[in-house]
Amino acid sequence: MSEPPTQVSIAAGPLVGPVLRRVVGMFAARADLPLDRLDDAVLVADLVAARAPSHVMDSTVDVALSSSARSLKLKVGPLRAGGGRALVVDAAVPGVGNVIEQLADGLDIQTEDGHEFLHVWLAYSGTL
Amino acid sequence: MASASSPRDTDIRLTLPARPQNVAVVRHVLGALADALNLDRVVVDDMRLAVTEACTNVVRHAYLDGEGTIDVVVRPRGDVLEVVVTDEGRGLGPSPDTAGPGLGLALIKALTQSLEIQRSEQSGSRLVMGFSRRTPSMDMT
Repeated sequence: MSEPPTQVSIAAGPLVGPVLRRVVGMFAARADLPLDRLDDAVLVADLVAARAPSHVMDSTVDVALSSSARSLKLKVGPLRAGGGRALVVDAAVPGVGNVIEQLADGLDIQTEDGHEFLHVWLAYSGTL
Repeated sequence: MASASSPRDTDIRLTLPARPQNVAVVRHVLGALADALNLDRVVVDDMRLAVTEACTNVVRHAYLDGEGTIDVVVRPRGDVLEVVVTDEGRGLGPSPDTAGPGLGLALIKALTQSLEIQRSEQSGSRLVMGFSRRTPSMDMT
């Protein structure tokens, strides 16, 4: 049975990475993602933690997490105008390319109540 | 100086559906916090047990007839680590499936340096738990 999202709000600072990677890893495991996709989810969490503080509205990094059978969804924001795209672009690694774009099964930027949110989906192959 | 309620760069807030599996999420976050802040193992164990007990109380007793949330705020403040667990349910009270008040609050009180409890049947309950980040020195004499 699916449940409402879990909301994590971490003050932009040294705890964003350690806390976010732990929570995302747990939700990926709960979604029964295979180990390679769980690693991918944690890598995406690390990138969001590293890049999002530059693009958030206030002084916190907010992520809503929801998991279902073999899929995990992250909703990052509220972000500043243009922050969703900027966050994805910032995740590019020289020689590797854009890591979030390569790892995510889906990316979307949506506006709610005048604020931007970046939606990231990860799933086991063929689930979405 | 920032007020007690203004966010600092180490504050964490979790809002989760009040379901048993989510108590583990809170425990994991406390583990991550403990690693990042290099907290003493004894302090971490006490904090995890007390916060688990507080969250379990919410899951078991706060929302008897529907869905609800647990709100957990963690605020490191100097030598004190403050954890606030809030629900919007019926507030703390005796368990409907046990004869007495249970050991939960007594256990939390024993494990915390400070404990403040606010409760009402209209607005739920709020536990403010303070933990010393220093391990009590063992008196071996």
